[in-house]
Amino acid sequence: MIHRIILAVGLVTASVAASQTSVTAGDPYGMAQVWSYNFSMNRPWHGNYYNQMHGQPLALIVPPTAHMRQTYSWGVGQNLMYPIHHQYGRSANSPGVAPRGGFHATPRWPSHTDQFGTYYVRGPW
Amino acid sequence: MKIRTLYHAVAALAVCTILATSASADDVEVDVHETNVEETAPEAAVDNYVGDYAPGIQRGYGQPDLFYNFYTQGGANRVNAQMYLSPIPVPPNVGHTFYTYQPFYPHHMLYPHKDRFHHQYDCGRGMNRTRALYYYPPARQAASNVYWNFLRIPR
Repeated sequence: MIHRIILAVGLVTASVAASQTSVTAGDPYGMAQVWSYNFSMNRPWHGNYYNQMHGQPLALIVPPTAHMRQTYSWGVGQNLMYPIHHQYGRSANSPGVAPRGGFHATPRWPSHTDQFGTYYVRGPW
Repeated sequence: MKIRTLYHAVAALAVCTILATSASADDVEVDVHETNVEETAPEAAVDNYVGDYAPGIQRGYGQPDLFYNFYTQGGANRVNAQMYLSPIPVPPNVGHTFYTYQPFYPHHMLYPHKDRFHHQYDCGRGMNRTRALYYYPPARQAASNVYWNFLRIPR
């Protein structure tokens, strides 16, 4: 009898403990965060194309828990995955607006998803 | 007999909790708790308040912006983007909309998490602490799980 009670209490405890696993970034020591930060310091968040509606590369905000982005192009071998390094921060940077002619327009026949001028940036924590 | 009923209750509880908390959905609810902590300060001098200056301690109190923005970071960008009113700010004659309550910033609704917001007032003698909890609604989450895992035709 006492064994069954102990077993029942253990089951309840296990179920409660399993149900309280909150969604985290899976990065307890912040190592991936540091890597992403270091990578984003010397790499641009944008590609070489501007968004057709705005004349500038367009930053599309994604959740800060997002890890990877997918690009599509003609052919199976061009469907590639890249990590999303860049994240919004508090300090304002310059230049805020790029001069005209600094970026390419979307080609008349686009062949890659990066050519649409929309690039992911993770939101702040 | 009693132990068997207990087993059934335990199993039902486990199923309910797992259903309610597993997997993810497409929107996050926010739960905000505010506490006001006002310290009672004794009579102070005219120029400053008690606690502003103490021997050996330089205290600074936060004066956060009413509305702060976020920007892309890094030294290799040929153009930078701001987060609110993206991609570019509107002209001044158009007008502007500010989010003056930080827990309701839309970027917090992107993922489940907890966050705390502090505001110092009354020359640092009072502090407003706001704890916000962003979470998936459990009942709707359970219904969504039932649909996506059992009812939906896999195609």
